[in-house]
Amino acid sequence: MMVNATKGLFISCDIPMAQFIINLNASLPASQKFIIYVLDNTHLFVQTHVAEMIRSAMAEFRDQNSYEKPT
Amino acid sequence: MGHGEKGRPAKKHKSSAKEGHRKITEVEDAFFGEEVDDDRDGEREGKKRDFSKLELKPDHANRPLWACADGRIFLETFSTLYKQAYDFLIAIAEPVCRPESMHEYNLTPHSLYAAVSVGLATETIIAVLSKLSKTKLPKEMVDFIHASTANYGKVKLVLKKNRYFVESPFPEASDSAFTFWLCTVLKKLLKDEVISRARINSEGSNGSDGFTISKSIGEIGTVHQDLLNGAEVATAVEQKETHAFEIDPSQVENVKQRCLPNALNYPMLEEYDFRNDTVNPDLNMDLKPEAQPRPYQEKSLTKMFGNGRARSGIIVLPCGAGKSLVGVSAACRIKKSCLCLATNAVSVDQWAFQFKLWSSIGDDQICRFTSDSKERFRGNAGVVVTTYNMVAFGGKRSEESEKIIEEIRNREWGLLLMDEVHVVPAHMFRKVISLTKSHCKLGLTATLVREDERITDLNFLIGPKLYEANWLDLVKGGFIANVQCAEVWCPMTKEFFAEYLKKENSKKKQALYVMNPNKFRACEFLIRFHEQQRGDKIIVFADNLFALTEYAMKLRKPMIYGATSHVERTKILGAFKTSKEVNTIFLSKVGDNSIDIPEANVIIQISSHAGSRRQEAQRLGRILRAKGKLQDRMAGGKEEYNAFFYSLVSTDTQEMYYSSKRQQFLIDQGYSFKVITSLPPPDTGADLSYHSLDEQLALLGKVLSAGDDAVGLEQLEEDADDIALHKGRRLMGSMSAMSGAHGMVYMEYSTGQKHGRQGQLKSKPKDPAKRHHLFKKRFT
Repeated sequence: MMVNATKGLFISCDIPMAQFIINLNASLPASQKFIIYVLDNTHLFVQTHVAEMIRSAMAEFRDQNSYEKPT
Repeated sequence: MGHGEKGRPAKKHKSSAKEGHRKITEVEDAFFGEEVDDDRDGEREGKKRDFSKLELKPDHANRPLWACADGRIFLETFSTLYKQAYDFLIAIAEPVCRPESMHEYNLTPHSLYAAVSVGLATETIIAVLSKLSKTKLPKEMVDFIHASTANYGKVKLVLKKNRYFVESPFPEASDSAFTFWLCTVLKKLLKDEVISRARINSEGSNGSDGFTISKSIGEIGTVHQDLLNGAEVATAVEQKETHAFEIDPSQVENVKQRCLPNALNYPMLEEYDFRNDTVNPDLNMDLKPEAQPRPYQEKSLTKMFGNGRARSGIIVLPCGAGKSLVGVSAACRIKKSCLCLATNAVSVDQWAFQFKLWSSIGDDQICRFTSDSKERFRGNAGVVVTTYNMVAFGGKRSEESEKIIEEIRNREWGLLLMDEVHVVPAHMFRKVISLTKSHCKLGLTATLVREDERITDLNFLIGPKLYEANWLDLVKGGFIANVQCAEVWCPMTKEFFAEYLKKENSKKKQALYVMNPNKFRACEFLIRFHEQQRGDKIIVFADNLFALTEYAMKLRKPMIYGATSHVERTKILGAFKTSKEVNTIFLSKVGDNSIDIPEANVIIQISSHAGSRRQEAQRLGRILRAKGKLQDRMAGGKEEYNAFFYSLVSTDTQEMYYSSKRQQFLIDQGYSFKVITSLPPPDTGADLSYHSLDEQLALLGKVLSAGDDAVGLEQLEEDADDIALHKGRRLMGSMSAMSGAHGMVYMEYSTGQKHGRQGQLKSKPKDPAKRHHLFKKRFT
């Protein structure tokens, strides 16, 4: 039996954020898709180099949804 | 813009549109206030200063406020002088933010104009302020007060026996040097061609230069005198001398215009000497003995009738604090024909009811004029209650209403009572005010904020703000309900969020976050809890008609929206008030204003109009009317919180942004929102709807297959204020001065035109990083 090992990043998050990452992945051209495996609703396995990209995409998304009172 | 728009130098770039360089901005920028918010940050940062060198007065601990050179004033609410200081500050400054222990106020030209118009003299303002301040008053502030009040209130326009007089009254008229100066004011006005042409030389005028000289009674009940030593009360002159000349009634508009700051700069105050009006017939109506105005209602009336005449202006009281009693009391004092304008037919009925409830007016002296009921009063004086739309309507009318409207136009009204002035668009105001002749105008509102900047228009269309109550003080006094505000966070379900993120669903975003099954379940849970555990009466608000219908049908509750007929509305509201079976009703935004539902004490908001602070405050107002026994409601009583305001928000969506923005007005009034994250509790399974995935998917299918139109917002005739948001036509100006909330000003920028002498106005360099995400990629 052959065992294949792939190095990757294990992401654990809540349900909406998993959907956000899946949607982000889907919006990219095939060559840039980064999800290796969707494990379940809250766990994903992705390529190692995308951590920063996901983080900044998420930060931007959050910023759009939060209002700060002008002081 | 109108008078009083001379901003402090630091703010010039906002108010320099005075000369009417009104610009149309593009739709996109008008919708989101972000860039302007950023400007404001910059502006404030520039003001950071070191105050440590200010010299404290030795007894500073006994004095309640800090006055800063930039016009900001901070009031300690725990001071023993708080009550007096509050009354004084509310008369001279705009409240910015009023949390529990420390209030912030701002001196603006508008607020000082209002102060002068209720009879405060420049010197009194400065004297009282320096008494209350912990430090020596900054010179800048004293200068600012002098500059802003120098010309305000020096000239009045008085309607006496149906003749218009330009009058120059002043408390220190006994001083001979002043009399000389005063005469020169009138002379100065008469040098103006328009005004001198409008002048009527009346016979029997005495005094130099043919001015009519008369004595009038001095200010009664000057509340702030107790703050001054006897020596300082130079203003309490019992009899005052006034000089006046008459002008041609047809020229009144022009004369008023000449007196605005951009011309002669003597803005006119308008007052109605109703006691000496023998031309218009009296209306025999009195307050019933059981109608006992509360202290703050009394105070607001004192501001209006301070010198025995009726001043035009706006009174701001939270919903449920008894605005109608203030209106009815004002009408009872003036005792002349009164035209009362409301926003819709339901509130017309309510106003008519309030008049009969609080005053001794006869049934045949009051009538309603709506599309459904066209009554007329008998006799030569009476009260007419109608809607803004009925009066301003431009199209063809039935013969019957044409006759009534003709009567309304031809009559001279003693009082024009205007309800909910913040919702009516300015152009409709102009129309109503130009169509009806009234001696005195009183505007009533709960929230002097609008998402457009038209608030400032009210200032010269109606008059200055006469009084504004502090919400938390009324809560403490038990006059309005103590509301627990909560924001309930509902996570999006996996399937709904996946659709929400898809680009092709951008128009359905709102429907998706409103119909989020977790939100539905939270709503259902709250309804059940309050109906069954506490026996409460609940209103559920949804702006989104699709959601409103879905929720109401699924939960089998009655609903009211724009298309619901008057009869049906009355029936549903009646059932809600009396029946034990009907404890929850669903309302679209028709319920935001005026529908009086005193029984309700719980509000659940499932969808709302973007970031409208006004809507949030109006909705809260639906449950502010105090219920139960007074002692139970007081702090520490049996029911410290007896009303509940829930705002259901789907997390990770745009709704979060809107929700926090909407809360700003209430937060500025001192309210705090509690965040609830686990509703419904995890152990509630199939008890509540949409538990199974199949049900959720069926709902999702329904949302996705509905047309884009069906899932959009309901548009009503009366919310032109909100509609204006979408149209994106913007006029330059600052609403902040009047709104008291200073929250948001829309992005405005000039297109192409050079500004000549208004050099300060430069379009700000735009930082693409600060743009709203929707526009980030534009203009780069």
